[in-house]
Amino acid sequence: MNLYLYLDRDTFVHRLDPRTKILLLLASFAMALLFSHPFYVASVLGLILLYCALGGSLGNLRKIWFLLLTIGLLSLAGWSLFARGQTPLFWRVTWESFSYGLATAIKIDTMIVAGVIFLSTTKNEEVTLALIRLGIPYSAAFAFSMALRLVPTFAGTASTVVEAQRSRGLDLESGNVLERAKKYIPLLAPVFLNTIRSTDQLAMALEGKGFGSRRGRTFYLEIGFKKGDFLALAITLALLALALVMRMAGFGRIPGLSA
Amino acid sequence: MREVVTMWRYTKMVVLAALTAAVYAAILIPLKGFPLIPGFTEFRPANVVPIVFGLLFGPAGAWGSALGNLIGDFFGTLSLGSLFGFVGNFFYGFVGYKIWGHMGWLSSGKGVDIRSGRQFLEYALVVFLSSAICAAIIAWGLELLGLLPFAILGSIITLNNFFTALVLGPLLLWLLYPRVYRWDLLWTDIMDEKDVSTHLSPGFGALFMWSGGLGGLIAGLALSTGLYGAVPFTFGAGTVGGAVVLGVLPFLALFFLGCLLM
Repeated sequence: MNLYLYLDRDTFVHRLDPRTKILLLLASFAMALLFSHPFYVASVLGLILLYCALGGSLGNLRKIWFLLLTIGLLSLAGWSLFARGQTPLFWRVTWESFSYGLATAIKIDTMIVAGVIFLSTTKNEEVTLALIRLGIPYSAAFAFSMALRLVPTFAGTASTVVEAQRSRGLDLESGNVLERAKKYIPLLAPVFLNTIRSTDQLAMALEGKGFGSRRGRTFYLEIGFKKGDFLALAITLALLALALVMRMAGFGRIPGLSA
Repeated sequence: MREVVTMWRYTKMVVLAALTAAVYAAILIPLKGFPLIPGFTEFRPANVVPIVFGLLFGPAGAWGSALGNLIGDFFGTLSLGSLFGFVGNFFYGFVGYKIWGHMGWLSSGKGVDIRSGRQFLEYALVVFLSSAICAAIIAWGLELLGLLPFAILGSIITLNNFFTALVLGPLLLWLLYPRVYRWDLLWTDIMDEKDVSTHLSPGFGALFMWSGGLGGLIAGLALSTGLYGAVPFTFGAGTVGGAVVLGVLPFLALFFLGCLLM
């Protein structure tokens, strides 16, 4: 059961060190947050989509287009009502608040697209190793890695339980909210018990293999910075610096907005 | 909060954190609920996991909730908001085990196997505070980044978390607690007392946690919707940005101080 977005391809982005990809992800977030004018935020989105195409990940965006649309609409509607401006458009919506809502909708979608690129081009094992190399304690990174591996197994168990209970006549679609909520009990209890029962076995297996017995560890997977990483980081830093200079020079703002 | 750090020395606690994270993320997928606000949020049975596993597995449940929420974002919604989702979900699982039994006359004086009205009352209060602080942290974070108004996210997260955990939690705890107790998997059975924080001032701690958690949510909603100073039956001209961020911040600080005192 493959639930993850990772696409096994051999692109320039796939070959980058996972730490480089984490830094590019953070830089994408920062660039998206610097501006509040829709034109400038859309320009950042354009750059991110170019990066997405380089990573061969555009196909994954099709899977989440509805999510991007609904989050964008929520943001547009919310900020149009909550932010304030000076040029009335309709009801309490002003041209400035609408522009800000639109910019924020693009901002959120830009960040999600950047996240999708990262997940489409980075294996779970690489994410874990990058976290360890970036200073996250091994036990915490291991728990994260173990959880990532177990999600498909548990999701499969949960699906099996749902199908088994449905075949016995459990109807999740009828009744009011309270009745429908209570129907989740026979689904959740077996999943939880199954999970909890495996704790001792897993802990013993880990300790049997020397988990936590030594501080220093070696890893089967090796990562390291190459020329491509330095090139990608240099381009990203230059773009980030340019965006910062533009922001400080007053570009990318919406005049008359009080948000 | 010492146990939040020292728990990583215990293999069983590491495994419990991983299992909590995995089950939280996993049941989000096949047990997707029905929409509360179509397109925006839905009734999620998975929201009961941080509360139930937090009460049973303590800090492992809290860390597992945070990691599980982050993994949930790995299915397409990873963004800077995930950072605040991580912190908010950590405290969603943290509050329960920390404050249970420390709310004076409101506490039942018994364990978390919900078998009496007094235990249910204590459980409902714990769920409410957990939901409120989770909502306040996430909504505050997204307001800080200028991504979503506090009022929208604060109210939706509070109601969603509270409702789910209130309906599903008592029955699940009633079923799970005796088994977890029998299998010696309660966090208090796994961790040594020396690795658990000493209660510096549980009374003040609980008071600060309540004042900070509830106060933060109320202040955020009031400032964001313009309820403060608003005329009845009109849509308030709310405040966004700096005022909400600064208005909620002291309450969050008070909540964290309360956590340190517990």
